Amino acid sequence: MRKFTLLCCFLFFILPHILPAQTPNRVTLSGTVADTSGAEIALPTVMLLNPQDSTLLNYTRGDEKGQFVFKNIPNKSYLLKVSYIGYIPLQVAVEPSPNPENNLGMLGMKPLNEQLMEVVVRTAKAALSIRGDTVEYDPSSFKVPPGSSVEDLLRRLPGIEVDAEGNIRAQGQDIRRVYVDGKTFFGDDPKAATKNLGAETLSKVQVYDEASEQTKITGIDDGKEIKVMNLELKDEYKKGSFGKVTGAVGTEERLAGRASYNRFNEQEQLSFIGYGNNINETGVNWEDYGEFKGQGAFSDFDNGDFGFEGGGRGYYFSSSGGPLNNFDGRGFTENFGGGVNYNFDNKKTKVNASYFYNQTDLTFREYTTRNNFVEEGTFTNEDTLRQDAFQRRHSLSSRLEHEIDSSNNIIVKANLALRENDTQQAKSQYFTDNLDMPINRLLTATDNLTGAGDLTSAAIFRHRFRKKGRTFAASAGFNATGNDGDDDLLFQNLFIRTEDPSEFFRQDADVANRTQQLKSSLLFTEPLSKKWFVESFYNFSQTNNLADRQVEDPTQNGGERIDSLSIYYDNQVLYNRLGSVVRYAHDGLNIGMGLAAQQLQLKGDYARGEGEPALGDPVRLDFFNWIPYASMEYEFTNNMSVDFDYRYSVNEPSFTDLQPVAIITNPLFVREGNPALEPERMHSINLGYNYWNPASFANIGVHGGFNVYDEQIVYNQTVELIDSVGLRTTTAPANAKGGYGYDFWFWSNFPIIKTKLSAGINGGLNGRLAPAFVNDVKNETRTNGVDGRFSLNYTPSNKLILNGGISVGLDDVQYSIQSQQNQQLISNSAYAGVKWEFVPKTFVESNFNYNANRNDQTGFEQNVPIWNASVRRIFGPKNRWETRLAAFDLLDRRVNVVQRATQNYVTTSVAETLAQYFMLSLSYNVRGFETGVKKRGFW
Amino acid sequence: MKLPLLFLSLLLLALPTLAQELPADGQAGHVRFLITHNWTKKMASLDYMSEQSRQKAQYMWGSRSEWKEYMEMYFSPDASLYFLSEESPDPDLETYSWKKDAYFIRRDFAGARQSDLLTLTGKTYLVDDSLRCPAWKILNDLKEVAGHVCMSASWVDTLKGQTMLAWFALDIPSSAGPERLCGLPGMILEIDINNGALVIAADKIDFYPVDAGKLALPSKPKGKKISEAEYQSILAKYIAEKRENQEPWFWGLRY
Repeated sequence: MRKFTLLCCFLFFILPHILPAQTPNRVTLSGTVADTSGAEIALPTVMLLNPQDSTLLNYTRGDEKGQFVFKNIPNKSYLLKVSYIGYIPLQVAVEPSPNPENNLGMLGMKPLNEQLMEVVVRTAKAALSIRGDTVEYDPSSFKVPPGSSVEDLLRRLPGIEVDAEGNIRAQGQDIRRVYVDGKTFFGDDPKAATKNLGAETLSKVQVYDEASEQTKITGIDDGKEIKVMNLELKDEYKKGSFGKVTGAVGTEERLAGRASYNRFNEQEQLSFIGYGNNINETGVNWEDYGEFKGQGAFSDFDNGDFGFEGGGRGYYFSSSGGPLNNFDGRGFTENFGGGVNYNFDNKKTKVNASYFYNQTDLTFREYTTRNNFVEEGTFTNEDTLRQDAFQRRHSLSSRLEHEIDSSNNIIVKANLALRENDTQQAKSQYFTDNLDMPINRLLTATDNLTGAGDLTSAAIFRHRFRKKGRTFAASAGFNATGNDGDDDLLFQNLFIRTEDPSEFFRQDADVANRTQQLKSSLLFTEPLSKKWFVESFYNFSQTNNLADRQVEDPTQNGGERIDSLSIYYDNQVLYNRLGSVVRYAHDGLNIGMGLAAQQLQLKGDYARGEGEPALGDPVRLDFFNWIPYASMEYEFTNNMSVDFDYRYSVNEPSFTDLQPVAIITNPLFVREGNPALEPERMHSINLGYNYWNPASFANIGVHGGFNVYDEQIVYNQTVELIDSVGLRTTTAPANAKGGYGYDFWFWSNFPIIKTKLSAGINGGLNGRLAPAFVNDVKNETRTNGVDGRFSLNYTPSNKLILNGGISVGLDDVQYSIQSQQNQQLISNSAYAGVKWEFVPKTFVESNFNYNANRNDQTGFEQNVPIWNASVRRIFGPKNRWETRLAAFDLLDRRVNVVQRATQNYVTTSVAETLAQYFMLSLSYNVRGFETGVKKRGFW
Repeated sequence: MKLPLLFLSLLLLALPTLAQELPADGQAGHVRFLITHNWTKKMASLDYMSEQSRQKAQYMWGSRSEWKEYMEMYFSPDASLYFLSEESPDPDLETYSWKKDAYFIRRDFAGARQSDLLTLTGKTYLVDDSLRCPAWKILNDLKEVAGHVCMSASWVDTLKGQTMLAWFALDIPSSAGPERLCGLPGMILEIDINNGALVIAADKIDFYPVDAGKLALPSKPKGKKISEAEYQSILAKYIAEKRENQEPWFWGLRY
């Protein structure tokens, strides 16, 4: 009790004297910064940090003598940090001071190893991490050849030596232990890791002192420290693999399978893809194709055709049968395909190589009605076509892009495709006159077997001069294609009117085509000032084309050549263009004005067969033209822009059109040539307006394009009723003055309720006037089309998306020779869709489409409702499994309808295709399937 | 004979005062910053987009998604002005000009104020308020940027979801920095946002006296005056909306 009283007294009297002295609220903190030898450090940076999380609370700069002071700061714990160039940053823990003045005295800074500072920080520009005594290197700053070991890398690091045996010394001391990610690697030999690991696997190299094993065990510091090294490996995400596989079985013997696998690391990507199905997927979709090509997917836009439009003399090979799904809606297909793709990218060099194989076996039956108008009336043919086509294709593509140095860059690419085509078709054509009286029936059987090869290649070199804005570019390309085929035809023409016996024809054609193109372009850009530039360009191309079609009648003398149908021609187009564009670019305004001189030389020699006498005069045409160009784009400050351009183009006639003899592959349809054809000349103007609201993401765009022809190539028709044969149509190309085309379209997307309901609207008008002679009477066909679409997208929650829309389309076609035959083709549609995650990871998806096609003139009407629905569930660890039950075309109504009206005829085609079936599928995805309904992607 | 002598001595007397009028070395001048955008890394930083779509963007675009632009900054001991450069680092873009949104960031260190003239979601604002600088954490790394040894500091912008790594010069005693960043004991010469999604690094620094005119906001365009809190709330609202729509917010906002 006494003791307690004493203690109370002690506390009562003493405590008030101690406590306020221990914790003044405010304190003045001062000190002097010097180096370890005692020399003052002038103007050091002194920071006060929160000791818990290093947050900067206050800072100051010392004076010339290294003295610093923080006046009247809260009195609490700080981490005082001093930094000065060339010294290891110093950290001092500051505790609350009992006095209002807290002088920390002299703070000594250790000089930073000069070699580390110079070599790492200055030369290698690498971040040097200093954590107490730990020094950390960033290996990516020290270049070693690919395939080097860690040991090779260490030899390059400043302050580290590696002897011939692989022993490592750092800062003059032996490294006794090497850790990998902080753990011992294969026992105690420090060389095991450095000799076996690849240099490219490292993200960090750290060197620090560690207490000896003795200290670790006893817990008593024996004062001995050993130097150790830690090798940090790169993050795992930089390399990896993913893939997915799907198998599906359905009713109507439907089967489908798809698989893909991708492996990648920081520099390389390797991927495989394969598919097979009988559900009309003739290739892979965009999404899968993009993942298959990886970083090589966006490298197809290299342009070596310099100068304004038309400089390219673009040579495009048919891309049908490529890896992408290009099913046109007709018939039934069986498809197989697969490929491998490799990409390499180390920023300086990008390589892409891929191989793809695909095949499609297509069968379909199509019914077409064609109404042909001539001045005397209308005749009609009703066709039934049955086709069985098998196609296979091997394609190889490769591309190399290399940055030689900062001012030189080269791209080399080559694509090769080998194609094989085997087509059998049988066609029945029933002709009637304008009184619906039958004329004749033509039966045709065709058997075509073709093998072809395509090669495209190009090299583009770019150089930047030292003068800003001055550049030079050169390109060269070689393209070739060739095909050989047998085209066997069998005709039977039943002439109904005269009750003549039916007539048989046979034609066996041997067809060979060879085309080679060599082209080159040069471009030189010279800045005139900061805003003005001149681009000068030269384009050259030479295209050689050899076509050989030898037709024989196997029934005549064991295969006598039918001279009238055989042709051999050899021709050449030489193209030269030299021009300049002056450009202005400043503050959102871009203007270009240019002029080019263009020369086209055409040479063609025609004969019945190789080495045989010439047919008619050889074609020797030479066209010279001045080609003007103008363009303007202007951006306003509020995300609005307008653009305008004017172009003039001159395109030479094709050699098929120039040939002096007719091509007859069907006795009722004859195609003549015209060696006197002039090139097509056209002026075109484009106008555009765009607006984007970054706050609501609403946008509006309007575009108009107009073409006016000076000279057009048109196809005149002569339709004659020939006794015992029937109606024969002869088409001949000719030049016609006049004619125009226009198209105008707009689009807009806008939110109605932010984040919930959005709408899209777009539509257009288009039209053209095409003059042509039909039976020597001039017919002007005016086509005007209008179309529009409106759609709504409603996402009330992140579990449900509803969408719907309508579209209308009308084509109005007017014929000057027979205005009573004017056509109005109507195709309207409406759709609705739903995606609903009604139970977590379980989705129901359905869409309904209604297409109405009508032509009142011909009385055609076909309405096609299509309803698809499916339910799917994602399950398993990491959502890797998915099963789906889908019903396609529940109403069993799918057909393919195409309506077309042009020149002097209108056609309506209806083809059968895959209708109702049900399918159950199971998929596995290494990355896991996405849950939730996806509103939008990144694009 | 006396007159030139007098003149000379006057000149000699005036020299030290002239020299004092000029800011000491490293106090004023001009900095050009090179910005490197990496779109796939920007996408990777959007936690509300699905993991699959972010990985896919990385796989497909990878290193092809980079593009570069220049920014400039004038600074003095009292103030700094950061703005878009007329120059372009990409020679392919030299012959084409885009309209640029207003973006002038002014920091008045003497008066502790900030006034930023900038276009935000299609509207131009003047964000005028007392100076706010991030609460930096000071780290331990050293690196050279544009010839200056820098120390690192970090800050997390919770609104935009950005982790910033700043490198500030130990020998440029200015608390200025690129974009809307400030408040370190030395000038910020490099900023790395979200591990390379956006890197802003000084590539040319010149020291010379800068007159006040170069540090002033342009008189045009005019912007609606708002406070820092209002600016933050416009950003927050926009980002929340894009998050709801599962769209990247940086299509419409400066990253």
